[in-house]
Amino acid sequence: MMADNWSFVLVAYGLAGVVLFAYWRRLVRRERELDRK
Amino acid sequence: MTRILGGVTVAALAAGLVMGFGVAPREVTQGNVQRIMYLHVPSVWVAYLAFAVVLVGSIVYLVRRTDAADRLAHASAEVGVLFTGLTIATGSIWGKPTWGTWWTWDARLTSVSILFVMYLGYLLLRGMIEDRERGARFAAVLGIVAAFNIPLVHFSVYWWRTLHQPPSLMKPGPGTMPAIIVAALLVNFAAFSLLYAYFVAKRVRLLRREAELAA
Repeated sequence: MMADNWSFVLVAYGLAGVVLFAYWRRLVRRERELDRK
Repeated sequence: MTRILGGVTVAALAAGLVMGFGVAPREVTQGNVQRIMYLHVPSVWVAYLAFAVVLVGSIVYLVRRTDAADRLAHASAEVGVLFTGLTIATGSIWGKPTWGTWWTWDARLTSVSILFVMYLGYLLLRGMIEDRERGARFAAVLGIVAAFNIPLVHFSVYWWRTLHQPPSLMKPGPGTMPAIIVAALLVNFAAFSLLYAYFVAKRVRLLRREAELAA
């Protein structure tokens, strides 16, 4: 049986969270920019 | 409408986390690192879905020349690239403790990287051609050609000897996974599909606004 390797789980979920949140923020910012035009 | 979809998506993602970490049991052989599966497999599902939508949007654009189909293909390709990147990154993180390596030139890993590069090229092509109609036409052709890589990625684990395991869920015949793990995976499939729909809806709206302002 393997060790749990929780650090790998945290890095994978953390990375996904950061990437998806950053993409969402980019879309929201662009939306605001276009609304101001 | 997009706001409601966003709220439902956040709730579904929270449910997916609860299922993946609270309900699904610790896997016997791999231990808790197997929980990366609830992120990795739905990510590749969304990538397949996104690029299938690019294919349909591209065909419709070439046949009918409707801007809506082109915008849908463009938005879907962008979201597909995002999720393909996540698939590669989370697979690599999962691979290190289970296979002992971050990367290997295995048929599945290589074919999914080619898929990533092809759709990245699709997005670059769109950005490089100034004439909007011409760019849309070229991108539609590439969107159709690149889709041939999707079955290659999926079936690569059957066609070649690979380190990557064959699919556990997206395959014909009876499943081999315990029902509770399948349930956790399905909740995450639904959550990621909603996230895809939310991102695409938002991106399509932005593309429409940009086109209106440019006109």
